Parts: sequence; structure tokens; C-alpha cells
Amino acid sequence: MSSLSDPRRKAAAVLEAWNRRLHYYLGLYFLLFIWLFSFTGLLLNHPRWSLSRIPNDANPAYERPIEPPRGGADLERARDVMRQLGLSGEIDWPQAAQAQGRLDFNIAYPKQATQVRVDLARQRATVQQVDRSLWSGLRIMHTFSGWRYTSAGTSRDWIVTSVWVVAMDALAAGLLVMVFGSYYMWWRLGRMRVVGWMALAAGWASCVLFVYGLGFIAPCFEELLH
Amino acid sequence: MTKTPGEKALYRWTRDLHLCLGLFVSPFVIAFAVSVFFLNHAKVDTTVATSVVTIRDVTLPAGLEVARGREAADRARELVNQAGLAGEIGFVRYVRSEQRVVIPVSRPGLEATVDVDLARRIAVISKRPTGLLESVAYLHKMPGPHNAELRGNWFWIRLWRWLADWTVYLLLFISASGLYLWFAIKAERQIGLGLLAAGAVCFAACVYVLAV
Repeated sequence: MSSLSDPRRKAAAVLEAWNRRLHYYLGLYFLLFIWLFSFTGLLLNHPRWSLSRIPNDANPAYERPIEPPRGGADLERARDVMRQLGLSGEIDWPQAAQAQGRLDFNIAYPKQATQVRVDLARQRATVQQVDRSLWSGLRIMHTFSGWRYTSAGTSRDWIVTSVWVVAMDALAAGLLVMVFGSYYMWWRLGRMRVVGWMALAAGWASCVLFVYGLGFIAPCFEELLH
Repeated sequence: MTKTPGEKALYRWTRDLHLCLGLFVSPFVIAFAVSVFFLNHAKVDTTVATSVVTIRDVTLPAGLEVARGREAADRARELVNQAGLAGEIGFVRYVRSEQRVVIPVSRPGLEATVDVDLARRIAVISKRPTGLLESVAYLHKMPGPHNAELRGNWFWIRLWRWLADWTVYLLLFISASGLYLWFAIKAERQIGLGLLAAGAVCFAACVYVLAV
């Protein structure tokens, strides 16, 4: 009987040891990323804090002659204009459609925001830039993904953005592994079951209330208030 | 070197608090982590699954056309209530030339727009239900840095802001206490320091490329 359960016990012991190690290995590797997103999350949540303000003072605009941009699509032509102007970053298209004879776009980059306005007929580009401080750049990194899920036309077009998105995804995946691993560790621990269940239930209840319950609870609550 | 009773008690308390507070905050961490994938990769067609309802003879709140900022949101709330909606008001846009007021309202599970014809006192309400992941992503972004004067005009978003703040504070405590608990395991110090250094190098590289 014991010989049958021995390999299982050994496997469970190995799993437990590696689960614990993985928990703090991931935590240590991602520590600075967790702190970055935590602090900047607070700043994004409190735009009135003086630390949260991002100055938007633009440098004086400048104009440059350009060659007719190569390429058929707007994206290719914008890339060619950027190459000619020596600019880099994620292309962000304005909401309005391009006017005839113009190629207008913005370039997003945590440390710099750039507006490029190209007069194709005159072959001249007007560039206006806002330089960001390191602090502002860190805050912008939190939301910098080159993606808007509600805009059908947006896509990532800069390799640096894609690498940063991989880093954000890896952090999210790492956090999920840590959380589910911690559930297993707590369960195997045996003690603190009651307190653990209470903490877990309180956390899940408040989270589920916000994700699912507001549609039902909020109107009842507001009726009570009135 | 043996530990003093004080050190042992500190270790036990830190370990237990790390566990309990970690369990409490874990659903929020899951929500924030899962929504990262949605925010980074999903596409939602906001034009589908929209229902439109018209309400006539709405009572117009006084001074809505001239109110600004939070005051405008508070007055617009009366129209939103008449529309049978509950949620955060995104902004209040008064179109003087058309005598219209447009009020976007949102909450997890719903996005709506109340379009009021002030001259005819007719409100057209378009609704788009949002799925689970979009709801979580919505909470991830709320209240957010934009329209600071207006944000938190709904009680539940103010409460969410408070919860999101506490998620951060608890996460900071958990990461700091985790550091302490790891450091207490002497056998894991070397590899742990290596991973900490590797993470710091990757972090510094990201910050250098993007923000310096």
C-alpha cells in the first residue's frame, strides 16, 4: 500500500517544492515591474495629485522639406516620412479622416509625443514635439500598448511597442501563475483554512459584485437612497 | 545564529499576513492581470448589439446648457435617471446648434448613450451590453486619468477607486513582505539575488528604451 503511494507522495513533494520556488522566483524577477505598475496605477487613479500631472508644453514647431513619401497605404507613407525626419515611435492616427493632399499623424512614445502634419503638395512637414520627463514617461509606460480595443483601425506598428506588450503580457501571466500557485500552497498548508477562506470569499465577493452585480445592486441601492 | 523570540514572532506574523492579505487581494490581481490580455490584444465592434429606446416628455434639468464640469454631470444625472440608467457619466456634450445634449453612461456590463433633443424633450437611449472581459477591462481603466473633474461622479466608481487603491497598497505590502520571507530562506538567497538582478536589468532596459 505504502509502496503504491510513495511515488505519488514524492511527486506531490516535488510539485510543492517547485510551486513554492516558482512563486518567489517569479515574484523576485517581476518585483520592479510590479512596483512600476502599482505606483503608476495609483497615479492614474488620482489625476489631481501633483505627482500625476504630465506637462504638455510643446517645443516650438519646426518645418522640414521632404521627398514625396513612398508607398501606397497611409501607414507606409507615414513610415517613410518618419524615416526622412529621423523620428521613431508608434504611429497614432487622428480620429478624423485624412484631408485631400495631407498626411497628418501623431507619434506616441512615452518619452516624447510628436505631431506630424504633412502638406503633400508643398512637400513640407510641420513637426511639433512635447518632451516628457522620466517620471511622466514611467506613468505613460503603464498604458503604452499601441492598441485601442474599441478602434477597429488601430494596430501596433513599432517593434519596441510589441516588445513592451510582451513584457506586460509576461507580467500578467506571471501574476496569474503566482496567484494560482499561492492557492495551492495555502491549501496544502492545512492550517489557516478558516481565515483563508474568509479572506478569499471577501475578495471574490467584492470583485464579483463589481464585475457582475452593479447592474442589479446599483439601481436598488440608488432607489433606497432616494 | 539562532533567532530571538521577537524575530520568530515577526516572521510568523509577516508570513500569516502575507497569506491572508494575499488571498483577499488575489481576485483583484486576477482581474487586473486577465484584463491586460484583453486591453493589449482584443478588438470589440462597438456598433453591434445596440438597442435603441426613445423616451418622450423628459423633464429637463434647469441650467443644463450652461453648467460645466461636475455640475453638468450632476444635472445630467437627472436625465440619466429618467432613462432608467445607472452608471458613470463620461462627459456632457451640449450641441448648441442642434439644441441637443449627449451623455455617455457606462458601468461594467453596459455602455449607453443618452441623446436628448432639448427642444422636443425627447431622449434616445442606445445601449450596448459588454461581455465579462470587457467589463473587467473597463474596471481596470476606471476611473482613469482623463476628465479628472468629472470622474467618480457615480458612487460605485468612487468605491472602485478606493478598492483599486487598496489593491495597490496590499500588493506593495505583499511584495515587500515576500522579499522579507524569501530573504529568511538562506538556501535560496543566491538564486533569488540572481533573479532579482535579472529582473532589474530587464526593467532598466525597458525604462531606458521607452522613457529615458
